[in-house]
Amino acid sequence: MTYLPTADHDELRAMVRELAEERIAPRAAAIDEGGEFPWDLKDLLAQQDLLGTCFDERHGGTALDTIGQSIVAEEIARADATTSLIPIVQKLGALPIILAGSDEQKDRYFPRLASGEWLIAFGLTEAAAGSDVSANRMRAVRDGDAYVLNGSKRFITHGSVANVLTVFALTDPEAGGRRGMSAFIVEADTPGFAAPRVEHKMGIRGSPTAELTFDDVRVPVENRIGDEGEGFRIAMATLDRSRLGIAAQAVGIAQGALDAAVAYAGERQQFGQRVVDFQGIQWMLADMASQTEAARQLTYAAAARVDASVPDLPYWTSTAKLIAGDTAMRVTTDAVQILGGYGYITEYPVERMMRDAKITQLYEGTQQIQRLVVARQLLQRAGVGARPRERRETGA
Amino acid sequence: MSNDILFLAEFNGSAARSALELATGAAQLAAKSGGSAVALAYGPGASDGAAALGAQGAARAIVLGDDDRPAIGFAPAAAAAVRDADALALLAPATPNGRDIAAALVGLLDLPAFGPVRAARVADGTIETEQATLQGSVITTSRPADGAPTPSVVLVLANTFTPAEGGSGSASVEQAPGADDSALAKATVAERHEAEAKVVNLEEATVIVAGGRGVGSEEGFGPLRELASALGGAVGASRAAADAGWIPYQLQIGQTGKVVKPSLYLGVGISGAIQHRVGMQTAEHVVAINKDPDAPIGEFADLFVVGDLFQVVPALTDEIKRRKGA
Amino acid sequence: MKIVVCIKQVPATGADKRYTDDLRLDRAGVEAIINPLDEYAIEQALRLQDAGTVETVSYLSMGPEQASEALRRALAMGGDDATLISDPALAGADEWTTAKVLASALDKLAPDVALMGMASDDARGSLVPGAVAAMRNVPLLSYGAELTVGGGEARVRRLSATGFDWVAAPLPVVASVTDQVGEPRYASLKGIMAAKRKPLETWSLADVGLSADDLRGGALTTVTDARPPEAKPPTERVENLPAAEAAARIADWLAARKLI
Repeated sequence: MTYLPTADHDELRAMVRELAEERIAPRAAAIDEGGEFPWDLKDLLAQQDLLGTCFDERHGGTALDTIGQSIVAEEIARADATTSLIPIVQKLGALPIILAGSDEQKDRYFPRLASGEWLIAFGLTEAAAGSDVSANRMRAVRDGDAYVLNGSKRFITHGSVANVLTVFALTDPEAGGRRGMSAFIVEADTPGFAAPRVEHKMGIRGSPTAELTFDDVRVPVENRIGDEGEGFRIAMATLDRSRLGIAAQAVGIAQGALDAAVAYAGERQQFGQRVVDFQGIQWMLADMASQTEAARQLTYAAAARVDASVPDLPYWTSTAKLIAGDTAMRVTTDAVQILGGYGYITEYPVERMMRDAKITQLYEGTQQIQRLVVARQLLQRAGVGARPRERRETGA
Repeated sequence: MSNDILFLAEFNGSAARSALELATGAAQLAAKSGGSAVALAYGPGASDGAAALGAQGAARAIVLGDDDRPAIGFAPAAAAAVRDADALALLAPATPNGRDIAAALVGLLDLPAFGPVRAARVADGTIETEQATLQGSVITTSRPADGAPTPSVVLVLANTFTPAEGGSGSASVEQAPGADDSALAKATVAERHEAEAKVVNLEEATVIVAGGRGVGSEEGFGPLRELASALGGAVGASRAAADAGWIPYQLQIGQTGKVVKPSLYLGVGISGAIQHRVGMQTAEHVVAINKDPDAPIGEFADLFVVGDLFQVVPALTDEIKRRKGA
Repeated sequence: MKIVVCIKQVPATGADKRYTDDLRLDRAGVEAIINPLDEYAIEQALRLQDAGTVETVSYLSMGPEQASEALRRALAMGGDDATLISDPALAGADEWTTAKVLASALDKLAPDVALMGMASDDARGSLVPGAVAAMRNVPLLSYGAELTVGGGEARVRRLSATGFDWVAAPLPVVASVTDQVGEPRYASLKGIMAAKRKPLETWSLADVGLSADDLRGGALTTVTDARPPEAKPPTERVENLPAAEAAARIADWLAARKLI
């Protein structure tokens, strides 16, 4: 299966790039220094219909294909990683409803999400349940026509600014995380819900990463997504798709750093010539460019396959996120290196890009988790099969 | 076809500086073409003041009207006068009013148009002009096409011609032969709003101290005014400063503001974006003061000083006053 | 109430621009954009449409086939339909020719207001609005910082020597606006998608009722030479000096040139 970006994709990229260069890039340093969520840019993106790209036209969205959505994330991330999370997390939070929600739930929430009037977040991770999702402890107890949620979540991107969240909690603790978890839509103004703390971070400092507390939060039955016990499956299916947004973000961060490094090296003179005229620097830039392009093409190939609903979807999205995240870290580090001392100071953007890049190796599944996913898919394809324990279970 | 050179002479109570400059230029061209310089005078005071254009070399003056209607309203009478005159060229100031009348003449009489020009001459019995195009990166030389109607309309920037001093001639004054029937006369001034403070016409200034975003505030223009005063010049600004409300729009220099040609332009806290540059790039001497060593203005200034304008500008004012013995 | 906004596609600001060997503007292979000053005219028209004062906003452009891109971009900002006048006879057109063609097209489209930017970026031309008004025999309202329509007339707020005037004329008019109108809007994603479905027609010279003969050979002016400007001496730079010393250097420089 092959794909080619179309003229529409090019036009989309030009439109987002213009917006990013003129309105987002100039704000990036201040957003990082102040650590404040850029509400003005959220409004701008909403106005430009860029928060509705994963929603259907009947809900007011623009229903872009996944490549188009990746282009939007990538071009914004090239200017500012924090701001790129706004459309990325809008999709992440909505995916559980997109994949498993009822039409009534979609009609109820998607119009305000597509227009950008409301923000949505994804509440899965807990203090003791990061990579190990099944270690989730938050409880949801049925009480008449509602569920009562108690517990807390940690490291929830946009948890403190979202109007609504998709939240995962155990409806059947006995059955354990994999089979006893359910998914819910929780509106932020529900009594008992709070976002008491926001983390201070190495990077993406304008993106609020929140601790959430649920204290007898009543959620109507109509807000449960899918059936009881489907939560783990919905969460995994969500992450199989949303991690592509992180891949696109990582590609954008890498590209931004590469562009900054090329521009600097083209001006800076040492030893009687431009830095870019040294072969050693050219080789570094060539490596940075090749790796970024490889990450980009893998991301788009995965995006095309998401739209084609291929059965080995996780293989594609995981390899893309794995490669792209590591590429972003490597390219931004090299960009700092090329700028030398100037790369280390805040007057130039590359130190921020390097700090921002690190998160792409951590969230929505660490690189180690991605490797597990890729390995599992690889072994399945090769007919080598799963772990011995599972082989015993299936009798193979 | 006569070899006369016509020119627009705007009056706003008395002759505008552009009228004096174009009279001088028209007379220079007429000397080469073997014809006369003829004014098309319009605006308040035109009838009374037209004869004095003879001091700059105008032989005749045709008065199009004395009232304060919008300049475009004089175009029909100008067209009638131009048709009668059958001249080689018509010089118009490259100001909004001048362009309006020039454009109308192009449309009413199908005339070739040039400019804004940086030079005009008579060559091989026809008009030849030089203009800077493509944001100053290319200088083109142009002429009317073979068989094109006359006169050629030539837009002229301020300070391209320097008014002749000490002349004493007097132009013979006559009224316009009539006016073409044209809807252009239907524009009227419905409301006039005068500003509180008198605003200098930047196009007439020989020294301009211009401030941009770096000046930071309305108060920030104080040191610039003092420097301008010490140099005997005027204060101008970039669009950013006008948009921010620090100075009135009449002082904005640039593509959509005034195009100036002073002998000295001092750009202070101005980055030098192309839209501003096209408004001042023909200045004879360009000095820039900016704390950003990479500001684009540093590429086309004659002298570029990297520094804090709030320190350098007052120091410069003091230095100039000291040297003048003030 | 109908407005037709006349726009021009020009080479991007800062793009490498040159004249060809036969002394025409070389547009091949150069990134093309809507003339920036025309974006203000588009914005003004769309604001009037948003306010409900104007029902229809159409676009008109004269140029090569490629100019349809500029019209699509305008449609992406808003508006209803667009017309491109494209004809081989129009290559190398000057301001008079452009005005003649636009005037004929506008007579056909018969808007209440024919709206334009105040000048074009590439040739620094500014005579087209006035020439079009004269050719069509309609009033001209030029250099407006703002345009209003209503009660059978249009008005522009125009900077005067000492303040501003409101200049009025009965409809239909030709108007031009400056950059004081307000920041042109970005095309939204939905705007871009909708623009693809909006009608865009291409007219030839014959469609506007003109023949090549009417164009008097295509232009009334001819470029006889194109050359780079005189080389200027490199910029003198003064850096890392305390203010008093920098001031003294500037004063020396001015004195050497008899400017003080």
